[in-house]
Amino acid sequence: MIDSGIDRRDFLKVLGWSGAAVALSGCGNTSIEDGKETVVSYVEANDYMVPGIGVYFNSTCAQCDAGCSINGRIREGRVLKLEGNPDSAINKGKLCGLGQAGVQHHYNPDRVREPLLRKGNKGEAISWDKAYALIAEKMAGVQGDEIALLSGGVSGHLKVLLGNYLDSLNTKNHFVYEAVAPGVVRAANQKAYGVEMPRYRLDKAKVILSFGADFLGAWVSPVHFSQQYAQFRKGVDGQRGVLVQVESKMTLTGANADRWLAVKPGTEGVLALGIINALGTAAGEVADLVKEYSLVRVSRETGVSVSQIEKVTALLKMRSPSLVLAGSAAEGYAHGSQNAAAINLLNQVLGNVGKTIEAPVSVPFPQMVPSKGNTAALKKFNDGLSAGKYKVVFSFGANPVFTAPGAFKFKDNFAKAGFKVAFAHYLDETALQADLVLPLDSALEDWGTQVPEYLTEGAQINIQQPLMEKLHANTRGVGDIVLALLKQKKSEEYKSYEDYYAYLRSALLQNKGALGGGGADDDTFWTDTLSRGIVKLAGSAVGLTGHQNVAGLKLPAVAEENEHYPLYLIPGVTASLRDGRHTNQPWLQESPDPLTTIVWDSWVEIHPKKATELGIVEGDIVEVTSRTGSVKAQVYIFPGIHPEAVSIPVGRGHDAMGRYAKGYGVNPFQIMDAVFEVETGELAMHETRVKIHKTGQRVLVVKDEGAAGALQMGRKIASRVSTDQIDLSKEV
Amino acid sequence: MSVSNLLENWAQVRHEHPINDKPHDPYKWAMAIDLDACTGCNACSVACYAENNLPVVGREKFQHGQQMHWMRVERYWDEDGREFPDQGFQFLPMMMCQQCEAAPCETVCPVAATNHTADGLNSQIYNRCIGSRYCSANCPFKVRYFNWYDYPTTDNVWPAEMTQQLNPDVSVRGKGVMEKCTFCVQRLSAAKVVAKGEGRIVREGEVQTACQQACPTGAISFGNLVNPESRVHKQWEAQQVVLDKDKQEKDEKEERAVLRGYRILEELRAYPSVMYLERVRESAV
Amino acid sequence: MYRYLRLPILLVGLFLAVSAYAANNSQPALTTEDGLGPQVQQPIEFPHNRHAGLHDASDPNKGGMEINCQYCHTYARRSAVAGIPPLQKCMGCHNSIDSVKDRPRIKELFKYWEAKKPIPWKKVHDLPDFVRFNHERHVKRFVEQQNRPVQEACGYCHGDVKEMTVARRQKPLAMGWCASCHEKDHPVTAEGGTPVDGQAYWYSFQKPVKTSDSALAPKAKGPNDCWQCHK
Repeated sequence: MIDSGIDRRDFLKVLGWSGAAVALSGCGNTSIEDGKETVVSYVEANDYMVPGIGVYFNSTCAQCDAGCSINGRIREGRVLKLEGNPDSAINKGKLCGLGQAGVQHHYNPDRVREPLLRKGNKGEAISWDKAYALIAEKMAGVQGDEIALLSGGVSGHLKVLLGNYLDSLNTKNHFVYEAVAPGVVRAANQKAYGVEMPRYRLDKAKVILSFGADFLGAWVSPVHFSQQYAQFRKGVDGQRGVLVQVESKMTLTGANADRWLAVKPGTEGVLALGIINALGTAAGEVADLVKEYSLVRVSRETGVSVSQIEKVTALLKMRSPSLVLAGSAAEGYAHGSQNAAAINLLNQVLGNVGKTIEAPVSVPFPQMVPSKGNTAALKKFNDGLSAGKYKVVFSFGANPVFTAPGAFKFKDNFAKAGFKVAFAHYLDETALQADLVLPLDSALEDWGTQVPEYLTEGAQINIQQPLMEKLHANTRGVGDIVLALLKQKKSEEYKSYEDYYAYLRSALLQNKGALGGGGADDDTFWTDTLSRGIVKLAGSAVGLTGHQNVAGLKLPAVAEENEHYPLYLIPGVTASLRDGRHTNQPWLQESPDPLTTIVWDSWVEIHPKKATELGIVEGDIVEVTSRTGSVKAQVYIFPGIHPEAVSIPVGRGHDAMGRYAKGYGVNPFQIMDAVFEVETGELAMHETRVKIHKTGQRVLVVKDEGAAGALQMGRKIASRVSTDQIDLSKEV
Repeated sequence: MSVSNLLENWAQVRHEHPINDKPHDPYKWAMAIDLDACTGCNACSVACYAENNLPVVGREKFQHGQQMHWMRVERYWDEDGREFPDQGFQFLPMMMCQQCEAAPCETVCPVAATNHTADGLNSQIYNRCIGSRYCSANCPFKVRYFNWYDYPTTDNVWPAEMTQQLNPDVSVRGKGVMEKCTFCVQRLSAAKVVAKGEGRIVREGEVQTACQQACPTGAISFGNLVNPESRVHKQWEAQQVVLDKDKQEKDEKEERAVLRGYRILEELRAYPSVMYLERVRESAV
Repeated sequence: MYRYLRLPILLVGLFLAVSAYAANNSQPALTTEDGLGPQVQQPIEFPHNRHAGLHDASDPNKGGMEINCQYCHTYARRSAVAGIPPLQKCMGCHNSIDSVKDRPRIKELFKYWEAKKPIPWKKVHDLPDFVRFNHERHVKRFVEQQNRPVQEACGYCHGDVKEMTVARRQKPLAMGWCASCHEKDHPVTAEGGTPVDGQAYWYSFQKPVKTSDSALAPKAKGPNDCWQCHK
């Protein structure tokens, strides 16, 4: 893209933002007033800076952990729009709605702009020097194990620097927490395949049998999987791929399935073993294990009809290779590991390992490999807080006060920590509980490197770089903050780095050879790297070592009916809101949920049959009560859910985070029980049981569904045709 | 459309294609959207908000049906009374302005604020629009959106720094005007300027609409229908969908259709420029 | 009997309301009394005549330097927006012109340069925000394809800038004025221009006029579809 040796920190220094004023005045003739407006002009301009013509810079999307590369369009010094970077093997030029809303994270009017120190119930703006001095003061005399850091997933140079800082504090208390993470599946994969995340080849599969893996919505690397899915639908050898989705609450992926099977919550493993039995190809211990899972029994326990299981089995037999996925719906139970193990076993019996389940590559810099977040970390942190172990606590990249299950009583425990420092973009629920809030640069202003957890073709290190000048003078990059804190401890070692940019540059230049820049001079290598936004590495393939392992695989008896709390609560994870850290981006709030078309609010999904039984209609406000607590929300009658379950989407229900998030919807995390997965200690997200009752109030559901109530009234609007009526081979 | 055209022979301008003896030469912008590839993820819709300065109206106005999304992903239920929607949903990706060749909206505009361009687009001129909303009433697809409020100023839809995100190539609409999908005309314009400067027509793949560029599954193709090299042309041809027919020949035949291309509400003779490809479902499961 | 008065009362009321609205919403005057745009106060009183004006053979210190418009306004041929040259451009010459360094305007210029602050030039030719005017296309059309002199081509819209000190708007720049030119027949072949047969050139113009005399170059009117200029 840009090959002149310009200093990227000096780029696009422009006069003010008059372009924005021009755009806003919009319609009408009032703006034709010669001599009133100022022309955008530069002091010094590079060749590529032409007024009226956009320039594009590459960086990395920070809206989720998938690590898509972005390409930002910049006009007159402002970033306008994010596209995908076509050179990235992960997203190949595409970007999801969540990623595109990244500009609203950057321009959000509710960002924190100054370091804030708690004064009673208010935050007082203080200087950075004072903030750093305060941290040093609070740290004096505190033992290493009395300091804790809670963060979201970290990787790249930030992880290295953070590790050095924790070492300098002599603490090992780094809790890496992600509220929505495939923790159990990772452990099960490690057992079955020898790696936490193998490389799934959806594009090579002829049949995908997915047990609640919402790979088109919010699972692992959705943009990448969506592209593979398009390939899968076009088919290998002209045979269109078939998707069968098994889950208790329909996800976006389920809505796109050829066959969606509503399974009784928690019985995913039973169905997997039943299919192995029906296949009849297993031998030895596997055959012994599955022989008691007869079609009739499996059908009774799971609620899936015998004929349907037979059809799926026949399809799997007929078309190979297939791919079986274990997703968040299967892992969310106390026996989640067993479910996932049974599902992985099905993959092995079908012989998919090595065909559609490939060995992943690893980045040759182990210190930069991501620390993956999970929920077990939150439990440990919460236990420590509750015991009053910590005197100084740092938090960034996570919002545990919002996402911790109600049963944790996290907010109360958090208050027991002595001095709480939050690095934050917004005053979210956790930042509001902190004693010191340090304002962060937005992801479009900050420097960084990132290694994605899920790598595709070859290894890569993603570069994050500013797409425009900082909006607010007093925000800092998270790397800069960690470096400044590290200098408090090891000033000699780090004094040569003026800022995180200098650290990053020198760290990458040191490994120039290994990063594919051998022979190039430093400046050329650096500019090239920045302009590409990605460092592609050969990476070494990690072998798949696992084998069919049935030892210890034992599914519990199907859960008994619970008299007091008869329904399962399934927290819905949507592609746009995920765990709620981006709820304050208005495009996402107004982007209708694809399944229900609801905007700006939460809802309770109930199956029509159950709703009739309880006398509930759409828009009724119901109280959903668990052992932990209760929330009230509007009902949406939704056929894509098991009658024994209700679902509330997570991500809404903030009571902080600014004008676009606060006060919209309810937060189902609040009523979640503390039930844990037996083997891994992860939070079992689907184990909360609830009861519902009508409050008597009724509202109009705010949704995008048409006036005809989502019916086509006999017109051919959205049409469907079955494969036996069509010839896809001649299509373009 | 020029002032003298308007004054002298308004009726003719409104009823005839601007280059009627050479229709669609060298451009006719059109789309083909594959329902089988669409997953309903909404990336296109967000891309449209970003590209075209669409206001976020908020909960209350959304409830009143005053949302301004130029493109909506529609979702339909099956109507056969099964217990579960076990063949998934019927997503209709992107119901947006179909850029009809004989657009019902154009003929009813009292001030000719919406009319046909030479490359087959249905243009909407904001500062000519007086807000009669006749066009919206006459649109069979319900894809025209009216500015009931002054979103940029009194409604303060883009507070503080948010204004800096606005695309300077697209007008920010004030109160009382109608708006709709433009097929990203600002991108087409820019591409045409580049092509004209080089003495050629816009090449296939040189210009993408914002929704097309974002779509992770590549369900949307957009291009020049009269360019035989373009993907859109090939798709329309393979599906035997002809632009200026209100009833396709392939549908007249007695045997079962094996092609899945169709246009919505074709029988109304609006001749839409968007072809959809039916969603496919496996018969074996 | 009021029944008979209802309609007239309504009409009179409507008329009053509309006229009151119109009176409150009068647009700023597009032209001043002498038919030109307003005099604009610029941070530095830039003498266009000194830079672009004709040489004065009798006294080299008086006349202009005949600098091509595009030497400073380079963006016009590359972008829709003409923009303003960066400060760097002014300094490129003025750094080495010692004879005028003590003049107040040049001192002002150096002040901006040393402070690394761009000069807040005011817009003289301000079009409404819904208009998409493309400088590049007009420069290509007239200067590159038809070999018109630069000052003449720019002058179609900007007037005779080489006679001005601070630029002042000379033409109305309203839609009717634009259309008055787009309505005229223009030759659509040009030496070095793009071929007529390939359509690419005259497309977006109206149909070329068919002339019986084949020796005459075909002519066409300028682009006339609304989205050509409105955004």
